[in-house]
This record gives sequence, structure tokens and C-alpha cells, in this order.
Amino acid sequence: MLKIERLYVTVGERLVLSDVNLEIAEGEVHVLFGPNGSGKSSLVMAILGHPSYKVISGRIIFKGIDITEMPTEERIRLGMAATLQHPPKLHGIRLKELLNRISDGRLRDDGLLRLIDKLRINEDLLNRHVNVGFSGGEIKKCELAQAFALNPDLLLFDEPDSGVDIENLELIGRAMSELLVGKSALIITHHGHILRYIKPVRAHIMFKGQIACDGNPEEMLNQISKNGYGWCEKCISMKKS
Amino acid sequence: MHLDEEELSRALDKPADYGLDLDLSSYITEPKEEVKLEESIVRRAYEVGVDLSRKDSVGSFFQVDHSVLLKAIQKKFEKDVELMTIEEAIEKYDWVEGLMWNLISPYKDKYTAFAAKNRRGGYFIRILEGRRVYIPVQACLLLYSPSITQCIHNLIIAEENSEAHIITGCTHHIKSVKGLHLGMTEIYVRRNAKLSFTMVHKWGPGMDVRPRTGMLVEEGGTMLYNYVLLGEVKSIQSYPMTMLAGSNSRISTNNVIYLSGESNVDLGGGVTIKGPGSKAELLTNSVVTDRAKLVSRGSIVSEAPGTKGHISCRGLILSDKAEISAVPSLTSKNADSELTHEAAIGKIAEEQLFYLRSRGFRLDEAESLLVRGFLDISSMGLPKHIEKMIDSIIEQTMKGF
Repeated sequence: MLKIERLYVTVGERLVLSDVNLEIAEGEVHVLFGPNGSGKSSLVMAILGHPSYKVISGRIIFKGIDITEMPTEERIRLGMAATLQHPPKLHGIRLKELLNRISDGRLRDDGLLRLIDKLRINEDLLNRHVNVGFSGGEIKKCELAQAFALNPDLLLFDEPDSGVDIENLELIGRAMSELLVGKSALIITHHGHILRYIKPVRAHIMFKGQIACDGNPEEMLNQISKNGYGWCEKCISMKKS
Repeated sequence: MHLDEEELSRALDKPADYGLDLDLSSYITEPKEEVKLEESIVRRAYEVGVDLSRKDSVGSFFQVDHSVLLKAIQKKFEKDVELMTIEEAIEKYDWVEGLMWNLISPYKDKYTAFAAKNRRGGYFIRILEGRRVYIPVQACLLLYSPSITQCIHNLIIAEENSEAHIITGCTHHIKSVKGLHLGMTEIYVRRNAKLSFTMVHKWGPGMDVRPRTGMLVEEGGTMLYNYVLLGEVKSIQSYPMTMLAGSNSRISTNNVIYLSGESNVDLGGGVTIKGPGSKAELLTNSVVTDRAKLVSRGSIVSEAPGTKGHISCRGLILSDKAEISAVPSLTSKNADSELTHEAAIGKIAEEQLFYLRSRGFRLDEAESLLVRGFLDISSMGLPKHIEKMIDSIIEQTMKGF
């Protein structure tokens, strides 16, 4: 589904990703751990083709197509979608109108209505301007609804569980787990709360712009909870030597 | 109010505080031909939100140059609203003249003085005490003859405990490539009355517009003043002044502006809060393109306790040659008042564009969605069908953007 090969990315003068390799097969859900500022969000931005994230070498292959130079919207139309960690406010654009346009007028479809219902996105929220005055939980739910409205094959979730209270976490977790059936995904999580509801098949740790290691999600999360990310540095330098 | 002719003559040389200075001798005051209510004129009124064929309005007023072509209140609303020309009102009520030039000084500048000397028409709308009408009263003022000056004096009174919506459209006929609109409007919102006044302006590249507006809101009264300005105009300078005289009174002005071409617009709004517990809000959302220039001014002076004031100016610049300046001013003469302002001016934010593209929108789709979002009128509190009509006018203006 998604294959990233030896990817190097800069933002301005700064190298934010170096030698990133990652492969997610069809129907697989992977999780990406890593400390703040390690490059997790940068990876999502690079996959989406954010204009400030320049790929200086390497390739991103999606469904067998090299999308490294492709405009963002074309990547989306190929079948990917993402939820952003800090989406901007869209004054004057109602959530309802945006969802309707994203889904090509399918807002009244059962599937989408069920999703809106499941996420407890009520009429009041649907009528508000996107992300304007939304709470942390509302932002995440609104991101999820938009991503699923695109009916993608690959989903990228950037911190779907940060800044969310327990009640909303459960809502979001259950909705994600149900909607991810048969789809591929990369879930970025700093503290791993969302993994109470979703069981990825593989985990990766990003550290200083590199994938430091890959492995079993539960084992890795236990390791991180116990030891933090301190040992990643050692690990990377050992690999290098 | 008695007008001092000498002082008026002196004021004829006084430029306005802001905006382009105009030579008033380059306009004519008498139209050269008589105007009839023909289809092209009716259509033009429709383009500024006034549908003269509409059954669901309280009444309509339509003035072309100096001629009042239509003034009618539907029979069933005769006990709710009075609608007539200002001349008729002066004739009918001896108190009407006392309310004129009371909220606007005729000696303020050459435009007020000129309008005072050359007044021809204008509407008198009075919502009677305790009457509430939820469908709008509509008025349209149209310039027809080339180089004409329209000097109009409007008077609106929302009597105690009344409530109404007024929608007015001002524009010109395509025949008139040059013209000057001087519309003096004084609005009295009496105790516990609520008035929503919405004005749609659509002009052309040869039109100059100098409206002068004064509003007075008494205890518990609410004034909602909405202004929609679309397209190209040679110049506009306007600075509606509001006095929140009574306690717990409220004014909310909401400007939605889309300027193109060589437009030169200086738009302000000033509020003096004298009544304790009163609130003022001045909001402007603007989009400028081509070589258009907009100065957006706002001023709130609070002189009473428990009051709140907020000025917001959000501007979107779509061309390197276009320009927006925001000039907010807050003055508090009381420790117990909360005055704030915010201004954000710039091009469309890259992050917003990327966000929409990450939802599958092409760049041009994302841009037009964001621009359209800027011109949102849903917070104006308009009756649904009026909101829809103005939305479609905006849609029409934005076509080809």
C-alpha cells in the first residue's frame, strides 16, 4: 500500500527526516512512536506532500505509484487521508458544508451519518465553523469524520489521542477501530493511549528524524513506558558503527 | 433642527476627515430625463437584494434619482409600520424635522452641507410601538441619470418595544457611468426596540458614495447594522456613528466587503457608550483584489460602567497591488469596561490551503472556498430568504474569481 524508501526531507535549511524506510502492506495498521520533535508529524507532512517539506532524496510509493512529486490533492484522490494534529481554523466554512463537499455530496448517506452519530458530532457542531472555538476532543472528532468521509484505503493519524478526555478517547478509539477494518493505517501516538482500542501489527520508533527500530507494538510500548526513549540514541549510534 | 444657511455655505468647502476629496461641481443636481419603472431598473434593484415583486415584505420604497417610483405598505401591515417619503413625513408630523440633523451634523463636511442644501427625497420608516414584524421592509435607492447627485435623507424610528428588519439596496443603472450618492440616514431605536438594518451596495467604477449615518439606541434597545459592499466602486467614504444612550443597549455592526478593480474605500464606524451595561461590536470581514484599497476604521469610546466593546477586522488580500489598512481605536473613560480589538490582514494562509488540499480540494477550489468563507453573512441574523438572496448576490459577484 505505502512504501517509503531512503527518504530525506528538509524544512527550510533543516533536515527533518533522514534515511526513513517504511512499508505498510494492504490492510495493515502500524503505529509510530517517538519523542516530541523526533519527526513523526514531518513524516505525515512529507507523505501528504506539504509544500514546505522538501524531499531531497528518496521516494514515496503509494499503491505502486511514485507520488514523491505529486500535488497533495492528487495523493488524496488516489485514496489516502490524514487527520492533522493542529488543523487550522476555517472561518465562515461550516463543518456540515465541508463534510458534504469532501464526500461529494454523500453527507446524507447512511455510512457517513452513522459515523457522525458514532462520534457524537451533533447538529450544533455541524453548523459551526471548522475548528473555530472547538475543544480538543471536537477537533479530533472533526478530523476523523473528514478523513473517513474521503473513504480512503490508507489513513494517517497524527496524534488522534492527544488533548482528548477519557470519554472522547473511548468514542474516537471505538470509531477508529470499527472504521479501520480492511484499511491500512499509520497511527502516530506519543503516549499510546489509543492502543487500548486498536491493535496495530507493527510498531516503529522515530528518533531524531530516523526510524530507530521496528517491532511488536505492545513490547515496544512497554519498553518506552519503562525506559523512555533514552536508549534510542545508543541504539542508533550502534547501528551506525 | 433649524439649518443655518451661512454655516452650511461655509461647510461646503470642508473636505471630509477621511477618504478622497471630491469636486462637487462636477455633478449635476437635476436629472435630465424622467424615469419610469421599467424592467432594466427593477432587475438592477433585484441585484442589491430588493425584489420589488416580493409578496412577503411589509412594504417597499423605491427611489430613482429624485423620483419616488414606489412606496407602499401592504394593507395588513398598516398598523405596524409607516412608510412614506421624508417630505410627506415632515408634512404629516410636526416632530419629524426635530429628529433630522440631530444624529448627523449638517455642518460636518461638504457632503452633509450639500445634502442639506439639496435634499430630494428619502424614506421615512417608522415601526409603531410594540409592533413586531419579522418579514422585511425593503428600500432601494438607484442612480439613473449620468453625473447625477442623489441627495437623500432617510429617517428610521423603531418605537418602544418594536422589532423589524429593514433591507436596503443602493446601486446605479448601467446607463449612469458617473454619479454621486449622498445618503443621510438617521436611525432611532427607542426603549427595548430591536432593529436589524441591512444595506447592500453594488456600484460601478465611476461612482462616488458618501453616506452619512447616525444612530441612537435607547435603554434596552438593540441595533444590528449589516453592510455588504460588493465589486468595484470609484470611491466610498463612510463613518456611521452610534450613540448607545440608554443602559443595556447594544449595537452590532457587521461589514462584509469584497472590493475589486480600482476601488478606493474608507470605511469606519464609531460608537460612544453612555449607557451602563451596554455593548458594542464592530466587525469587518473584507476581501480585496486587483488594485483596490480599503481603510477599515473603528472606534469605541466607553463612558459608562459594566460595558463591553470589541472591534474585529479581518482582511484577505488577493493581489499584490491591493491594500488594506486597519485602524482600530479604543478609549475607556471608566475602569469597569472591557474593550478589545483584533485585526488580521494578509493573503490566504498557506496552512489553510494545505489543509483543504489534504481533503482533496484542488488549489483553486480551496482558494475560492476560503474566500467565500470570509464573506460569510450567517452571523448577521437575517431572515432566511434574505440571507439566501444576499448569498446568491455574493456568489454572482464572485463568479469568475
